Amino acid sequence: MSITRRDFLKTSMAAAAAASVGIPLSATAKQAAAKVDEGWRWDKGVCRFCGVGCGIQIATKNDRIVATKGDPDSPVNRGINCIKGYFNGKILYGEDRLTQPLLRMKDGKFDKQGDFVPVSWDRAFDEMETQFKKTYKELGPTGVAVMGSGQYTIQEGYAAAKLMKAGFRSNNIDPNARHCMASAVAGFIQTFGIDEPAGNYEDIEHTDTMVLWGANMAEMHPILWGRIVDHRLTDKKVRIVNLSTYSNMSSDMADLEIIFKPSTDLALQNYIAREIIKRDAVDWAFVEKHCAFATGPYDIGYGMRDTDKFAFDAEKDIQAKQRTINLDADEAIGQRRKAGEQVTQANGKSAGKHWQIEFEHFKQAVEPYTLDYVAELAKGDADESLEQFKEKLQQLADYYIEDQRKVVSFWTMGFNQHQRGTWVNEQAYMNHLLLGKQATPGNGAFSLTGQPSACGTAREVGTFAHRLPADMVVMNPKHRAFSEDIWKLPAKTLNPKVGSHITKIMRDLEDGSVKWAWVQVCNPFQGTANANHWIKAAREMDNFIVVADAYPGISTKVADLVLPAAMIFEKWGAYGNAERRTQMWREQVSPPGQARSDVWQILEFSKRFKLKDVWGEQSIPGLKDAGFAPNTLPNVLDDAKQMGYSPDSTLYDVLFATKEHKQVKWPDPIAKDHANHTVKLLGDGWFVEKALFEEYAKFGRGHAHDLAPFDLYMRDDVRGLKWPVVDGKETHWRFNEKYDPYVKKGSGFEFYGKALKSIPSGDLDGVTNKEKTNLAGKAKIFFRPYAAPVEQPDADYKLWLTTGRVLEHWHSGTMTRRVPELHRAVPHAMLYMHPRDAESYGLKRKDVAWIESRRGKIKALVETHGGRNRMPRGTVFVPWFDEGVFINKLTLDATCPISKQTDFKKCAVKVYKA
Amino acid sequence: MKNKIITTALTLCMTGLMGLAQAEDRIIPSETGLSKQSVFEVPTPERFDYQGVMPGTDPVYKRAYPGAPPQIPHSIELMTPVKATVNFCLSCHGNSAELSQPLQGKPTPIPISHYTDLRNAPDKAVKELVGARYVCTQCHVPQADVAPLVKNKF
Repeated sequence: MSITRRDFLKTSMAAAAAASVGIPLSATAKQAAAKVDEGWRWDKGVCRFCGVGCGIQIATKNDRIVATKGDPDSPVNRGINCIKGYFNGKILYGEDRLTQPLLRMKDGKFDKQGDFVPVSWDRAFDEMETQFKKTYKELGPTGVAVMGSGQYTIQEGYAAAKLMKAGFRSNNIDPNARHCMASAVAGFIQTFGIDEPAGNYEDIEHTDTMVLWGANMAEMHPILWGRIVDHRLTDKKVRIVNLSTYSNMSSDMADLEIIFKPSTDLALQNYIAREIIKRDAVDWAFVEKHCAFATGPYDIGYGMRDTDKFAFDAEKDIQAKQRTINLDADEAIGQRRKAGEQVTQANGKSAGKHWQIEFEHFKQAVEPYTLDYVAELAKGDADESLEQFKEKLQQLADYYIEDQRKVVSFWTMGFNQHQRGTWVNEQAYMNHLLLGKQATPGNGAFSLTGQPSACGTAREVGTFAHRLPADMVVMNPKHRAFSEDIWKLPAKTLNPKVGSHITKIMRDLEDGSVKWAWVQVCNPFQGTANANHWIKAAREMDNFIVVADAYPGISTKVADLVLPAAMIFEKWGAYGNAERRTQMWREQVSPPGQARSDVWQILEFSKRFKLKDVWGEQSIPGLKDAGFAPNTLPNVLDDAKQMGYSPDSTLYDVLFATKEHKQVKWPDPIAKDHANHTVKLLGDGWFVEKALFEEYAKFGRGHAHDLAPFDLYMRDDVRGLKWPVVDGKETHWRFNEKYDPYVKKGSGFEFYGKALKSIPSGDLDGVTNKEKTNLAGKAKIFFRPYAAPVEQPDADYKLWLTTGRVLEHWHSGTMTRRVPELHRAVPHAMLYMHPRDAESYGLKRKDVAWIESRRGKIKALVETHGGRNRMPRGTVFVPWFDEGVFINKLTLDATCPISKQTDFKKCAVKVYKA
Repeated sequence: MKNKIITTALTLCMTGLMGLAQAEDRIIPSETGLSKQSVFEVPTPERFDYQGVMPGTDPVYKRAYPGAPPQIPHSIELMTPVKATVNFCLSCHGNSAELSQPLQGKPTPIPISHYTDLRNAPDKAVKELVGARYVCTQCHVPQADVAPLVKNKF
């Protein structure tokens, strides 16, 4: 009996499911199922997309991906993917894949005004080298930059950071993860002295309550949402709270929805803190033993430029607030000052400084955050009654405070992409620490990560303007010495001056401080706020911009040189997800045409430079550091000679193809016959990805950042491991003696992070005692006040604009919009607005509207219904995945002054018919 | 003289051909990407509608590959969002014996994988939809009536 096609499809899925469930299949069905898999090779992999880090299985045949599925053995997702994850295979096959380097040329020469001409890799590197050396000669290490990524593999990030910092002695390497997680990182370092969450995803199954703060998990962390929903539907005690500036898919499964005004999250957190104290719910045993109270300055500015020289006329009024503001009535109450008071923003450059205070100070500081004050300030839906809103706030406080109720707070971009992002991250820990609900199963503040390896690569490897691997920083001489030792560099090779963060790299391109930039694994010209400035700078300033990418998009369009990059499964790699799980995969298929891995590109480029090109004396404007002459990095070539280097050794020899690395041989049985185009093309027989990983792991082992050996992650029965991995065992909850081998025996909890644990003390207004107290082992409970956003709706620009994403598309859409099923799911980024707002502008659903801010304007289709985002009156939402709906032309490049992360969630716009 | 003419003609031809070849090799940046315009211009997005009307009247879509989740051929505007208290999808795709009226067409049945909790009880299938599968629209979405932006050669 033959089997119809429809039956066949059902059968092959059923076969897979049935096999794991032990349900017998008919002989025909079994046969049919086997035929599908014939000749397929399955291998484990990791999803390309969000920070959840689902495990997948990839099927290949004849050097092509033919299918993928959720990995049933992954503890993260247990056999399920979200819709994007199911198309991990298709993203490689868009017809306009970049397959050859493209250089802008006229008359056979590079010309910034020319069109793209396909060139060889050699020709591409020739131009990159020429332009780099020209800029390096003129401006030194501060004149060149790399825009890296939270989607870099660990090896890519490590190679890029090493080349920039150890080779070129430049700290101008910063990732798009600055736009994503910087505030979370600053929150961790300020509070705990060490980065990354204490808990893991199992907190979902252990907890009784999940509070989402400005994080639309239903669309942005869908598999975690699935786990949350599962728990909610099977346990009667579980409650879900969704706090957001608009109603969304997370609200649909929540027990309590709280719509608040942008930036009032700062006030809401303080309200809860006040309630905790008022109801005498502070866990004093925990707080006295493990915590200390702290605060810092309020006058820290908004991370904008210090000058309005480059501002468009229309944005000068906002620009001026970088220097002085007038406190509004609400700020005055929250900051214990007078309404209308003019405040000079004096602490922009010292925004992170803080000092210890007493509990009495903290209590006094939160006292103004009464229910009346906060409810009036924060209520975000004009059509909701104040009474109802107050009841909701009380319910929220009840959930946190209820004695036997475990609580997990989740957040992502709502807190991080915030002008006071570091403050609001610190506040998330504040309430959990006051209650003693932190670092135990089901109890804790859990910072969710957006990108697949912002944790594993950007943060842990340190591909930031101020970082080194394993939470070390360039400003610390001990950290530099440690790194110089592992990297076998002469002392003082590394640059102690913090480089430019990614928004500043854009500003540097605009004012000519940076003239050479290499973009890797991101689309920053689409993704950076106030985009009109940067696309103009890219095309009109005298600079050379290289963009490595798999597909053409906005960044390649403004580039001078485009390099074709291999995509995720076309290279060996490793990612680290939001719960500290490091996962690895093998190369599954060959990259197309001349496309090559970013690791290969970095290593090949490094061959173009000799030590004498880079390790001589270098000018670093503004460098002021003990042990260095002002504005200067010393010549280290003599010391290099002592170490056995020749001035003619290349950076490839010194940083990459080292004696130690060459001992890590290729082929390697762990490869199980999978190819490695990077190793093959380099042609010198060492296993690049393994060698780089093992060297990188040296930084963290023994320092609470332990990674397991490469081979352990590659083992067939391993689905990643949560660091620190000590003696082969992963750590599920950090800082908790029961689970974390680094915690001192007998201490119960130990917040052993070392950074920023030695601080002066004072009162709410400043330092009164310069003598430093040692807070080793403790976490800090910060008081931070409410602060109003620097740009708010006014008579001209009447609406709030907030930006974000949708389930079906990833980031700038270059991958997902090339998958027809995903494109057809959401063809365009829509302008989500309340129907009555639309009506007041003469707009109907699906009309084309202009949306305009002080900085730019674009067109979008109006969406007033659609079952996804339901906006309150006065606020509109536009996702940023659509190249043709270039919303970042409108957004404001104000950042958290501490973390330097851009606030993409609040600026003022007007809408009118197109 | 004749040779000179021929040589000149040949040279002109060659230059012409080379010019053509170079023109062919040029890629105009604004013509690349998914929005075939300069980044300095502002495109006008085109209206679109989702396909399908009533459940049971539209043909099912071809699966992307064996095991891929199917997309939804009918409109879901009146049936979503999936909420904690109401999952409208289940009224046809779940246990249809519960409906009082016979169903039009054949609702794609929910496969046994959705009744198997690989996290907590991997060895058995249960009667209730597994909670992690409850929000159908995390994997299954309707399709708009739009052409692909670029061909996908998967």
